[in-house]
Amino acid sequence: MPEETAQPVRGRMRRLLSGLVDLAGRRLSVVVLLLLCLISSAATWREQNPITKRAGAAVARQVLEVCPVPCEVLVVVRDTAVDRAFAAAIERGLAAAGAPIAGRVFGQPRDVRLEFERIARAGGSVDAIATHRIASEWGPVRSAGAPVVAPGSYSWPTFLTPRNLLNVVNQNADIAIIALGMTLVILTAGIDLSVGSLLALAGVIAAVTAQEWFGGAAASPAGLLAAMLLGVAAAALGGLLSGTMVAAFRVPPFVATLGLMMLARGLALILAVGHQRRLVGGGAEGTPEAVRVGAPAFAWLGNGSALGVPNPILLMLFLFVAAHLLMTRTMFGRYVYAVGGNPEAARLSGVPVTAVLLAVYCLCGAFAGLAGIVDASRFEGGRPNAGELYELQVIAAVVVGGASLAGGRGRISGTLIGAMIIAVIQNGLNIAGVASYEQKVVFGALILAAVLLDRLQPKIASRRARMTRGSTSTPVQ
Amino acid sequence: MLELHRTSKSYPGVDALRGVSLAVGAGEVLGLVGENGAGKSTLIRVVSGAERPDGGWIELDGEPAAFDSPAEARRRGIAVIHQELSLIPQLSVRENLFLGAGWSRRGLVRRRREEREARRLLGLLEIDIDPGASCFGLSLGARQAVEIAKALALGPRLLILDEPTAALSPREARALLRQVRELAGRGAAAIYVSHRLEEIEAVADRVAVLRDGELVHSIDRRLPAAGGGGLAPLDRDALIEAMVGRRLSAEFPPRLHEELGEPRLEIKGLSAGHRVRDVSFSIRRGEVLGLAGLVGAGRSEVARLVFGAAARDRGEVWLDGRRLDPRSPRQAIAAGICLLPEDRRGHGLVLTESARANFALPNLDRFRRFRGMVDRRREGRAFDRWRGQLDIRLARSGQRVATLSGGNQQKVVIAKWLERGAKVVLCDEPTRGIDVGARYEIHEWIRRMASKGKAVLLISSELEEVLGMSDRVLVMHEGRIRGEIADPAGADPAGVLRIAAGVGPSEEPSVA
Amino acid sequence: MKRALTGVAAVALFFVLGGCGGGAETGAVEGRDGVAARGTIGFSAMTLTNPFFKIIADTMTEEAERHGFEVVVSDADRDVNLQSQQVDNFLASGVAAIVLNPVDRIAIGPAVRRANEAGVPVFTSDLQAVAEGVEIAGHVGTDNYQGGLLAGEAMIEALGEAGGEVLILHFKQANSCVLRVDGFRRAIEEYNSDRSDGRIEIVAELEGGGLRDEGYRAMADGIQAHPDLAGVFAINDPSALGARTALEQAGRADQVRIVGFDGELAGRQAIREGKIYADPIQYPDQMGLMTVQNIVSYLDGEDFERVHLIPTRLYRQADAERDPTLDQGP
Repeated sequence: MPEETAQPVRGRMRRLLSGLVDLAGRRLSVVVLLLLCLISSAATWREQNPITKRAGAAVARQVLEVCPVPCEVLVVVRDTAVDRAFAAAIERGLAAAGAPIAGRVFGQPRDVRLEFERIARAGGSVDAIATHRIASEWGPVRSAGAPVVAPGSYSWPTFLTPRNLLNVVNQNADIAIIALGMTLVILTAGIDLSVGSLLALAGVIAAVTAQEWFGGAAASPAGLLAAMLLGVAAAALGGLLSGTMVAAFRVPPFVATLGLMMLARGLALILAVGHQRRLVGGGAEGTPEAVRVGAPAFAWLGNGSALGVPNPILLMLFLFVAAHLLMTRTMFGRYVYAVGGNPEAARLSGVPVTAVLLAVYCLCGAFAGLAGIVDASRFEGGRPNAGELYELQVIAAVVVGGASLAGGRGRISGTLIGAMIIAVIQNGLNIAGVASYEQKVVFGALILAAVLLDRLQPKIASRRARMTRGSTSTPVQ
Repeated sequence: MLELHRTSKSYPGVDALRGVSLAVGAGEVLGLVGENGAGKSTLIRVVSGAERPDGGWIELDGEPAAFDSPAEARRRGIAVIHQELSLIPQLSVRENLFLGAGWSRRGLVRRRREEREARRLLGLLEIDIDPGASCFGLSLGARQAVEIAKALALGPRLLILDEPTAALSPREARALLRQVRELAGRGAAAIYVSHRLEEIEAVADRVAVLRDGELVHSIDRRLPAAGGGGLAPLDRDALIEAMVGRRLSAEFPPRLHEELGEPRLEIKGLSAGHRVRDVSFSIRRGEVLGLAGLVGAGRSEVARLVFGAAARDRGEVWLDGRRLDPRSPRQAIAAGICLLPEDRRGHGLVLTESARANFALPNLDRFRRFRGMVDRRREGRAFDRWRGQLDIRLARSGQRVATLSGGNQQKVVIAKWLERGAKVVLCDEPTRGIDVGARYEIHEWIRRMASKGKAVLLISSELEEVLGMSDRVLVMHEGRIRGEIADPAGADPAGVLRIAAGVGPSEEPSVA
Repeated sequence: MKRALTGVAAVALFFVLGGCGGGAETGAVEGRDGVAARGTIGFSAMTLTNPFFKIIADTMTEEAERHGFEVVVSDADRDVNLQSQQVDNFLASGVAAIVLNPVDRIAIGPAVRRANEAGVPVFTSDLQAVAEGVEIAGHVGTDNYQGGLLAGEAMIEALGEAGGEVLILHFKQANSCVLRVDGFRRAIEEYNSDRSDGRIEIVAELEGGGLRDEGYRAMADGIQAHPDLAGVFAINDPSALGARTALEQAGRADQVRIVGFDGELAGRQAIREGKIYADPIQYPDQMGLMTVQNIVSYLDGEDFERVHLIPTRLYRQADAERDPTLDQGP
């Protein structure tokens, strides 16, 4: 590889150029993600109706303009925390100017009608109605005859609202978490089809044990935690089973995990139906419905949040950092890459190949189990039908994230981006109102494109190497 | 027939071919030699349509030829035997031979005819393989032989051979050389690329030497007076000088020490199926034990059994007087045994990974910080040390090992075992496909290992190498040790070959 | 390098998307520019592959337009996870009201609660949600229990005085189907209570999945286990049609009478051809219509019936012969 020739200046130029190309290559998936965000933003450019304190203050000012001070104002909002804060801001603004409040409605359209009737009976009148855009369309408000003041709307992509962005990540946190485990499996040139079923099994086991062993609605947080850990452990055990088939008995991963996929799904259904049957006290009844967990704390993981960020997102981020460190900084990570790249060479270098494979499948199962706990917590119960066809979405995320199905190549960071790309596409399609049929077509095309690129990669790579002068990675013998 | 006119080809950072002009005529064999990286492979790729030249042009039969793909070149009668094997393991030898070029009648394969033809081809090459055998179970050497037969099956007008004998036994190699000559006698042309100068001497009418992408030396051996009869002898020293641009001191580095120590590795009654039968030997501290034999004699298998990479039926492995009997490579490595496998790319390296990661793989426990975390700085320092000592040429330490030349790849394998500090070094064909300079460095390394008191097992199909490097040589035939040569330096190679081929009188019973 | 390729893949995809997204976008713009002055209604349908729910969606869209609303239809594809996400998406885009066919009457609870917290009214149609602590503004559905009773009557009528063994193709997951079977059993019990011969005996309840292929498989097994079968009650038309195929293949089509449920087009056609004896029919169009009317009443502050169950009506071959929407063959 003589890469340093007699012309040091030219050499440096080339290296600089190669560095730039390399950088663009590494970051391109991020660029694509941003591009997709841009598209989604453009496709969801809508009128937004602010319900904020600032908007409330503005409404108060505007009311005072419409009808000068001795003016009976009716404040109409819904009965939510956000609406109440907005209403409070209006009232503060009005009180500062000394405008009387004729009344306030925190509720539904019907409550507005009743309030009007009350005011009419009391002989009062309403000179202006202060409200927001949504309530301004309510029948009683429209037909009141008084001027209605609502904050002006502005245009902004729905996609780019904080609520939606959190939605996007939160909704796909479980997929992303499983994708971590799947990345490990795919790095070893394997595949795990059982993740969706293990997700369901973990959720059902957590829910059933929480209900039947740990006290049901009265379960303590420790009991709930134990139930959740049992669920994760069961999924990890499932992973260990398929890992044993793959590592010790050389069963192709596709077949081994296909078997486990059906087995785990069946177990989840049996457990759920059995629980329902016990609930109604025996007999033939028993439906594969969600196993409801009565303890409110069970929902904390799936529906709680810290600092405004939903817990599933926090869990996902934590797991991503942990997995990233595992794969880049530890012996185990190196072993996984080596086993995926060339199992025989890895074995001859002293890598405990069987143990690594076992650990990888076990971890993948555990990640699926964690996702199952998140799902069960989110729905306040274990769903035996949860996670159907998740394996495909997860594999798509990993492959789009740049991992090679042939093993040995792929990164955790790539998987995170891959999962987000899929999440953004899905959300963008949903918000833009694309029907599910078309969504299926898009996802199918996505997987095909990613896998096709995986296959074409050597060709394109060599062509690229030929076109761009500056990379030194071409073999010259 | 084929002419290259000022052909150039550049890769990023490298001018692999710089205005090379060459011609091969009908009935002519052109020997092409040069160090790794001299541009031989690039030249082959350009001629076979795998790459397009940047400058100059190629003519075939006097017409400009620009092949868009290897398939097109093949249609024009150019066959290439690559270093990389391209057989389909699930298919039989016969099916591989005629893949895409078989006889068929109305879509049905004419099996008998193919079978006959396959036997003829294999017979010409003196390869004793059943055409019906699956390629899966064949040794590397046998697969290489099938590969050659496959190229010959096409009846090419121009045959290009790239290190074709690397995995062949001497007998098979001789048969191949004869076939190349016969092909030339029938009016075809051949380009023969090899590191083995004796083969070049045996086969080439003309010899061209490439260095750094340029044609630096050319010899026409056909005596003007003899009228096509004999060929002038080849001045090997001059050739080597032209290849490396400097004169090498001797073919093998000198021994660094004389006296040997206690027995270090002892093998007793090692057996595995019919491939290894009751093999016993011992290697002392500081000793290089050569293992000679034909391809398939069971030499590689012995190394793999000692390393725990294959399952023993019987036998014991003792290390430093303690019984070890490793059941996995991991166990052998922990005890201080290391292996340079025969199939470097398939067994020695994880090609998707960087040189550094490959180096670190068996040594991660040495760079461990806590809880299995890898101390990357310590890892980098260790790698840089061996990289400097072994002169591993990399653009950067994260460079993918797949992009390195064969010599540098082997050095990466060596570096990982050096860091490990093994007691026993098993070298299986350590210099196959490696250029003269790097080969010398690997031989030096073997000497250094021995001088440090390690026990070295050297397996090589090159008799010269085994005899030149070893303190003692065992000769294997059909899974058994058939002879021992106590003084390899003075031994008669022909005698060794006779034992290996099972024809010579077994001198003495083998020594344990 | 690898990353770059991934990037290219995603870019390629993005063009695909661009195509799809564009088409969908114009639809939304039309709605906004047209009559959607009063806001948007989000509808998460059980599954749009079943024409029943498609009819609900279409009537809703049509009716809402008359009142100045735009309806965004999402297909939950029988996945409560997807349905929850759709609810969240509706909330993020600020809809005036949400309509659901709850995929899972319990697990949809947390999503409905989030809508409650955001002050967005949730209406259900066809299926009810029973999760605790959630507020449903209104429900319009079929009176499934009454429908089950009618199905029982139809079965009694079909089997006549002879009675015989009857099998049920169930879909236990759906509560509506549980009610139908309850009604059916009640009708049969009542019929059996005062007679000793000619009784109708329910010999098995098999899981038909509410789908044609699953119903087919379940029925094929059912004939094996119960060779003397005289009648089948399938909880919807797809599984009834699946059962019919299985019976035809076994050569038992004439011996076993089928009572279905729903009265969707394919089912009514089968009744016309005598393949199904009768269906209690539902009125998805009325469901869509009344749901929208409920929403409008809600937003106008008017009182309306919180739970409205539309009774079914029995539909026999005679009705099919007069049905103008059917292909009236010979």
